[in-house]
Amino acid sequence: MSGEPREEEENAAELKIGEEFLKAKCLMNCEVAIILEHKYEQLQHMSSDGGADQVSQVFEKSQGYVKRFSRYKNPDAVRQVRETLSRYSLHEFELCTLGNLCPDTADEARALVPSLVPGGRFQGDERIDKMLNDLSLIKKFE
Amino acid sequence: MFFHIVLERNMQLHPRHFGPHLRDKLVAKLMKDVEGTCSGRHGFVVAITGVEDVGKGLIREGTGFVTFPVKYQCVVFRPFKGEILEAVVTMVNKMGFFAEAGPVQIFVSNHLIPDDMEFQSGDVPNYTTSDGSVKIQKESEVRLKIIGTRVDATEIFCIGTIKDDYLGIISDPGAAS
Repeated sequence: MSGEPREEEENAAELKIGEEFLKAKCLMNCEVAIILEHKYEQLQHMSSDGGADQVSQVFEKSQGYVKRFSRYKNPDAVRQVRETLSRYSLHEFELCTLGNLCPDTADEARALVPSLVPGGRFQGDERIDKMLNDLSLIKKFE
Repeated sequence: MFFHIVLERNMQLHPRHFGPHLRDKLVAKLMKDVEGTCSGRHGFVVAITGVEDVGKGLIREGTGFVTFPVKYQCVVFRPFKGEILEAVVTMVNKMGFFAEAGPVQIFVSNHLIPDDMEFQSGDVPNYTTSDGSVKIQKESEVRLKIIGTRVDATEIFCIGTIKDDYLGIISDPGAAS
């Protein structure tokens, strides 16, 4: 084991999630809920003899989870959340963490997504506050 | 976190499937083989959402089986160290509690539960603050931070903490809120 080049340790707080996942598209829970619901309906159509109970345990658990923890239910609202957040030059992973957890204050947002702090994208609270405010408005008018 | 990624896999197909529905057979087999599996590198494969490309098949000598390289899009769930997410408590004991976030299990040891929360045994074992205002029990929803992952070939298991700012209970099944 010794002497082998080891991969840099992963740490989502510093966006160290590996090359492959950095380039990949992240999904918010509410987006996953829509995708899985769609897939579930497709499966039911395909086999009339109750083929839907053939879904894997992983699928079932994920579906239960995203249904329970989706902040936004309405597909239009879900699209708006992504649109709104993409205006703030966030990384995909940050965008989805914010969309999933919906922090109330700038302090909370920085605690949950520490990678917002360095780099000077969000100096002062105003810009974060505005972003969080935008998010809560979508929720209100959903 | 859930991701939408493109993965590749070499699929072996029996010659009896060669015909007009070859692609359908290939896709059906891919779903059966891949969905619900877990790898340390890519996490849990939740659902295949599309097939991007089926490459040229290669006949395997002696068997007649053909190997096709297939590129497919899928939704995966991959937990990361340092990630903060919400989870449902599934079991509470004096060592700590287990929670579930989708397909992944997360253990929060009692050392990583705030010091002012004490374990209470009984019908519904739980962790409660001394003034009784906060209670974590089965079916509670908590927000936690993953501080470690144990990955082997077919399973991912996580260690979490709720001993940090803005972590802990989000909803309590016992209290009407």
